[in-house]
Amino acid sequence: MPGMASTLRPAATGTATGPDLTALLRGCAAGDRAALRALYDSEAPRLLGVAWRILRRRDIAEEALQDTFVQIWTRAATFDPALGSARAWMFAVLRHRALHILRHSAREVISDDETLFERADDAPDPEAIVSRLAEGARLRRCLEGLAPDRRQAIVLAYAGGLTHGEIAGRMGRPLGTVKAWLRRSLLALKGCMQ
Amino acid sequence: MSPAATERDLLAAEYVAGLLDQAEMTAVEARLAGEPALAAAVAEWCDRLVALDDTALPARPGLQVWHNIEAALDRPVTRPAARPSLKARLAGLWADLAFWRVSGLAGAAAALALAVVLALTLARDARAPTLIAVLVSETGRAGAVVQVYGDGSAALLALEHVAVPEGRALQVWTKWSDARGPVSIGLLGRAASAPLATADLPAARRDQLFEITLEPAAGSPTGRPTGPILYKGLAADPL
Repeated sequence: MPGMASTLRPAATGTATGPDLTALLRGCAAGDRAALRALYDSEAPRLLGVAWRILRRRDIAEEALQDTFVQIWTRAATFDPALGSARAWMFAVLRHRALHILRHSAREVISDDETLFERADDAPDPEAIVSRLAEGARLRRCLEGLAPDRRQAIVLAYAGGLTHGEIAGRMGRPLGTVKAWLRRSLLALKGCMQ
Repeated sequence: MSPAATERDLLAAEYVAGLLDQAEMTAVEARLAGEPALAAAVAEWCDRLVALDDTALPARPGLQVWHNIEAALDRPVTRPAARPSLKARLAGLWADLAFWRVSGLAGAAAALALAVVLALTLARDARAPTLIAVLVSETGRAGAVVQVYGDGSAALLALEHVAVPEGRALQVWTKWSDARGPVSIGLLGRAASAPLATADLPAARRDQLFEITLEPAAGSPTGRPTGPILYKGLAADPL
């Protein structure tokens, strides 16, 4: 697979530090509850961090984490280590769950007087996120090559779960314009990372 | 890259970047299992952007989280091995449909596990639905089946091809109360089996309405059905 993440995040291969996540996923597929617990001990704090950043509320993020580990358990057999790291697979499951929770709650009233997310100004700071990427990592270099507003928009979408519409709203630009320049920026990012 | 391939790659990028709204995300996920090229593009974008996940500050989950996970695993409904035996012929038919669908997914998953898991996480193959709605056309042809599961998730099984004009899409709706009106639970570019976005809606009940309408490609601009109803049906309990 091109652009493998291993150059960006050595821990993702499961060889440098920490347990062998691929072996643990195999254990889950075979019904070994201790393997799931080991995955949880190793990855739950980082997964919760990602969910919390997207969902902004710890309790909802913990629900997403909970759903994620149930999915990891029931879907472990579908993971194929030849096609991506175990860690990337687990993060994909979590992001999927968190974004679906977020999108639903954006429309739905949770109780009589409470909407789940008032997403005005509590989005994460995109430049701070970029600065936490490893120095010299290709993704960081390529993001820093984009115009600041576009870099911030892409990071806000990925890390904060903002949609096209929410980004357009924040920037006070028409939706179509924002979509078009985000698409150009994503293509530029891809070209830079190749 | 051909224009079609570029378009597909950009859709994958927008999907992985988290830019899409609910209906758009569901539409992408509906296509993943049947479009290996799209699934491959999604997998590549996951790899490109995943380093951003390492910038989130880790947080230690509360003790209750693990207890809840264990409790969920102990509930028979989430255990893959615990497919209940189905008594009625009707229920048996739906199980067969589900099995047929999952066989197709399994082939795709073998090729592209990372991306396809996104579709598989919502393909509840191993369980029997708690509610079923058979959606029929005006002339009484069965066009699709909605299966609702005990955990609130739901899936659409398409039964016949629909000619969707350029610039239009099929939108799936449900209505559980007249006061709330119909709520969109899916947007499909073509007739296809797909997970439905019901997870955070009130639990579906018997006689709850499900319908599919023809809408603009981006979904109904009003948030309510605007186009012709192609299929509709009410939820019923399997025997």
